[in-house]
Amino acid sequence: MKQFMMIFIGEDYSDLGLSPEEMQNRMGKWFAWSQKMEKAGISHEGEALTSKIRRISGVERKAKDIASTELKEIVGGYYTVSAKNFDEVEEIAKDFPDYDLGSFVEIREIMVFDY
Amino acid sequence: METTLIDHLFRYHSGKMVSVLTHYFGLSNLEIIEDAVQDAFLKASLSWRTQQPENPEAWLTKVAKNNVLDVFRKHKVAQKYFPETNSNIEAISTDEPFLDAEIEDAQLRMIFTACHPKLDEKDRIAFALKTISGFSIKEISSALLTKEETIKKRLVRARKTIQQTNLAFKIPQGKELPQRIESVLAVLYLIFNEGFHSNKKEILIRKELCGEAMRLCKMLLKNKHTKTSASYALFALMCFHAARLDAKINTENELLDLKHQDRNKWSFPLIQLGNAMMDKAVENNEFSTYHYETAIIAEHIKAPNFEQTNWDKILNWYKLLYNLQPNPSYLLTMAVVCLQHENFIKANHYFEQISPNDLAQRSYLFYGAKSDYFSKTNNPKKALEYIDFALEKVTNDLERNFLLKKRERLLI
Repeated sequence: MKQFMMIFIGEDYSDLGLSPEEMQNRMGKWFAWSQKMEKAGISHEGEALTSKIRRISGVERKAKDIASTELKEIVGGYYTVSAKNFDEVEEIAKDFPDYDLGSFVEIREIMVFDY
Repeated sequence: METTLIDHLFRYHSGKMVSVLTHYFGLSNLEIIEDAVQDAFLKASLSWRTQQPENPEAWLTKVAKNNVLDVFRKHKVAQKYFPETNSNIEAISTDEPFLDAEIEDAQLRMIFTACHPKLDEKDRIAFALKTISGFSIKEISSALLTKEETIKKRLVRARKTIQQTNLAFKIPQGKELPQRIESVLAVLYLIFNEGFHSNKKEILIRKELCGEAMRLCKMLLKNKHTKTSASYALFALMCFHAARLDAKINTENELLDLKHQDRNKWSFPLIQLGNAMMDKAVENNEFSTYHYETAIIAEHIKAPNFEQTNWDKILNWYKLLYNLQPNPSYLLTMAVVCLQHENFIKANHYFEQISPNDLAQRSYLFYGAKSDYFSKTNNPKKALEYIDFALEKVTNDLERNFLLKKRERLLI
């Protein structure tokens, strides 16, 4: 088994102007997805990220706060899962609930260092 | 742990929180409060993805409360501008949950604010749906078939009016109360009618509007000062209308009139509830327009089929209704009732009192009825002429198809 990270990218919920009703529906879909993974024995862990962004760049370590509204695509959170290969993770990622909002998932394998 | 949330929990809770926090911090801080409440739902939607709390409502309340407190502390708004809010910050800083009675009281205050006569009529509906019902601008715009920009403007204007006129966040008392209740009932009935008559394809949002109007009306019935006979009558009326909601449209999404509705599809529990509410409404002799409207629809519901409708009684109720509130659309209905009766002279008598312009965008109903009149009195040429007038005026697709079908039958 290998470790993979599913990275969720898209517009921030608060910038989309979702209503309480829509947020409840979204949450319900995420919950169902999580339950489905659990039932299938896929252990997953992860975090959601707030929309505040501070970017530090350049040799001068220049810091800049970026409003999420300036960016259409921000990392909103991630799950790490164990799976055999990319195809298996792709299957799991098909249930990601926010494709209809224009969000997407990027799958990355977590590097293992043998020594 | 597997928990399923109550339907619409977030939406209902939004209205509760905005109301109760406004009670503490005043209408002048409404925008801060709305943002704080919205943010609580955002947090919930992220944090409950894998596990939901044991008591979701308490969780939401606590977060919304803390959000508001954070804002006030951060901006020191309280000290600078609203010294009186300081004690309120102390008052709600405890972990004590709000009491149900406290929430209900605050929601009623918000209803009276939203329906205040100082607010523009259209602004009242938008503001009520946003603040008490927790709809987003997008949802309001699709429910009311109005552009999002327009809804935004109405909300801004409503908030501005509230600030400028310094509206008090309270349930009116004494002499002022009956008239203010009337204004509330009128808004609730408008919201209901938007849902009931809009006939748009998205049946879900229509039902939600009707359901929302009923939920708000129910709140009035829970308070001893606001459960007037008119409030009961309006609630009964909504029950009787809502009972027929599913029967109004067939599987092809075509509109069905009373004659063609499948009466077995009418909701019996809602009819029963309507009856019970009507019993309450007639405990004294103060009859409102809602009483007569309910009496009319009750006659339709009593009839086992369309043919056995007691049109005499209905006509009589309409006369009483028209006396109380002279509205040209009642004249039109009375004309239609007389047509059912084949009492063409009387029908014409009512038609002649109507100038179609008074019916505004519903003038097509007048022309449609006139067409029926001519078709029944063997004047097919005129009937066709009037159905074409109706088609010129109609804006709604379902209604247009209904008229087109009628036109086809005239050509046979």
